[in-house]
Amino acid sequence: MTGRERILARVARATAGREGLPHPGPLDVPPADDPAAAFVKRFTSSGGEVVEPDPGRPAGAWLTAFLEGLDPAVAGVAIGPEVPPERRPRLPEVAAAHAGAGVSAAWGAAADSGSLILPSTGGRAVQLLPPVHVVWVPEGRVFARLEDALAELRKLDEDLPAAVGLHSGPSKSADIGQTVVTGVHGPGRCIAVMG
Amino acid sequence: MPTGIRDYPARAREIIRKDPLVRESVTGATIAFDEKRRRSYAEIDAEAWRRWAEGVKNHTLTHLDRYLTEAEARLEANGAEVHWAEDAAEAREIVMELAQRHSVRDVVKGKSMLTEEIDLNPALERARIDVLETDLGEFILQLFNEPPSHILGPAIHKSLQQVRNLFTEVLRTDSDADPDTLAQAAREALSDVFIRADMGITGANFLVAETGTVALIENEGNIRLATSLPRVHVAIVGIEKLLPRMTDLAGFLQLTARAATGQPIGCFVSLIQGPALHPEDDGPEEVHVILVDNGRTDVLAHEHAWEALRCLRCGACLNVCPVYRQTGGHAYGYVYSGPIGSVLDPGLLGLHEAMPLPFASSLCGACFDACPVRIPIPELLLEWRREAQEAGLTPWKERAALAGLAGMATRPGLYRAAGKLGSRLAGTGMARSLPMLGAWAEDRALPKPSRRTFRELWRAGIE
Repeated sequence: MTGRERILARVARATAGREGLPHPGPLDVPPADDPAAAFVKRFTSSGGEVVEPDPGRPAGAWLTAFLEGLDPAVAGVAIGPEVPPERRPRLPEVAAAHAGAGVSAAWGAAADSGSLILPSTGGRAVQLLPPVHVVWVPEGRVFARLEDALAELRKLDEDLPAAVGLHSGPSKSADIGQTVVTGVHGPGRCIAVMG
Repeated sequence: MPTGIRDYPARAREIIRKDPLVRESVTGATIAFDEKRRRSYAEIDAEAWRRWAEGVKNHTLTHLDRYLTEAEARLEANGAEVHWAEDAAEAREIVMELAQRHSVRDVVKGKSMLTEEIDLNPALERARIDVLETDLGEFILQLFNEPPSHILGPAIHKSLQQVRNLFTEVLRTDSDADPDTLAQAAREALSDVFIRADMGITGANFLVAETGTVALIENEGNIRLATSLPRVHVAIVGIEKLLPRMTDLAGFLQLTARAATGQPIGCFVSLIQGPALHPEDDGPEEVHVILVDNGRTDVLAHEHAWEALRCLRCGACLNVCPVYRQTGGHAYGYVYSGPIGSVLDPGLLGLHEAMPLPFASSLCGACFDACPVRIPIPELLLEWRREAQEAGLTPWKERAALAGLAGMATRPGLYRAAGKLGSRLAGTGMARSLPMLGAWAEDRALPKPSRRTFRELWRAGIE
């Protein structure tokens, strides 16, 4: 018998005399009426930032000006492979470890938890190493509930990305004297661009 | 594995007397955690969420063999490798073998109670592998060379000044640096280790059977980095961590965060299905999942204690516990402390090894009210006490006292006489030499008892 078989046999023995209890089904929390507004409220209350691009300008040009206007101004960016060409800033591209900002595209967002849903195909280092993370949230991709978003991800089946990150605000810690500090390991600013 | 549990009373006394700052730091931090949890529970229908979570976990634990094999098959289909470890030694051997296979020199770790349980770091260090804890609290404790004292806030027993002094010595920060500066210094000290490391080692909050998803919750981003940048990711997962469906995660991710820190969800959640697929730019080439038993099947087999396997390791029961607040986790002598430790440790280690933890509680019940999966901790404490009594594991003084009480309670005349004598004695200076009452009265003025006993008052009609 292998260790695996012995563990499984012990599990089977341990539960043999016990009634198998049913799964209670979905949690089924009432969904928000306006998912996009609910997302903004939740995400910003967790320290995330939300901006809307200037509709009068091309998206790439708007983002370039936005990044240059940050303090400190972003000189070099890392851009995820899934950011469409028209949404890429026109700034020098550098490795994520040296970039002033990472720009990526979300698969979607969840309103109730205030989470951006980021597939690993969007580039992990881009999402994690730069001090500022700017995320394009495609229109109509804000799910009312995380449960709905996960159900949709589940449908991808074989095409489910190797990893999915949920980012719901900037990196923070209260491990020193119970005082909250931001930007401990991951990005200290997480900015969602809606639209 | 030998633990320090037996010395719990002595160590608790020592911490309270010699290091009063611990009590102050732990009480302050846990009260703050608990207030956030209460506010966060109030935002949702907490009762419905807790009942739902209890139900999903009960379903999973009563069908655990099915979900374990489903998770294994799915992970393998995703390209991950699954290993099974019956005990701590086997789990360590598997990690060591993987480290050798990949010529690993540097390991970055995410916070994991299970790796503490299996004593992983010393084993890696003996093999001259550099292990770096990357969670800020764990990093601080690694520098102090201390184990975590709280499931969630490993360094809550350390004051800001203690961390300042440590960082001044090790990282050359100013002696009056603020938390931001200290965190920045830690970030700089840790900045290139994620890129340099060959292996990332983490635990898991959940393992979803239908998708083979390892789910990890955190706030700092160090776990996302440790599972994204090194070539190899090893997740060490207790067999009780299974969940059936991907959608189950929605409730559990949010409920865990609410119970733990009062947040709607952790700032970062990693959902890992397997190694990076082509054509991804980055990500681990190999993902290994080690499924660990180490006493969990013994807990599962116990008629009552199996319910403790629902535990999400949120720390909510520690935060509300008036006993835990006095000392923090170190007094308990094992990795799982506080109320949940007192019911889980006897199951994992054997009751004999875990004595006297089931008695380290006032049975106030606050732990049950806080628990996101409704583990009946007070009932389980009583169950372990009963078993300890039956097995003759309780101290002789206590057995004698209980036998005396039983004798008295079944003889009304004797009971009345003892009640009268007790109330008279309590009013005199002799009270301070009575057992237990003496210790209680050490720092307090004793209330003056009524001259009449309760029974006399009752007969006369209480006003």
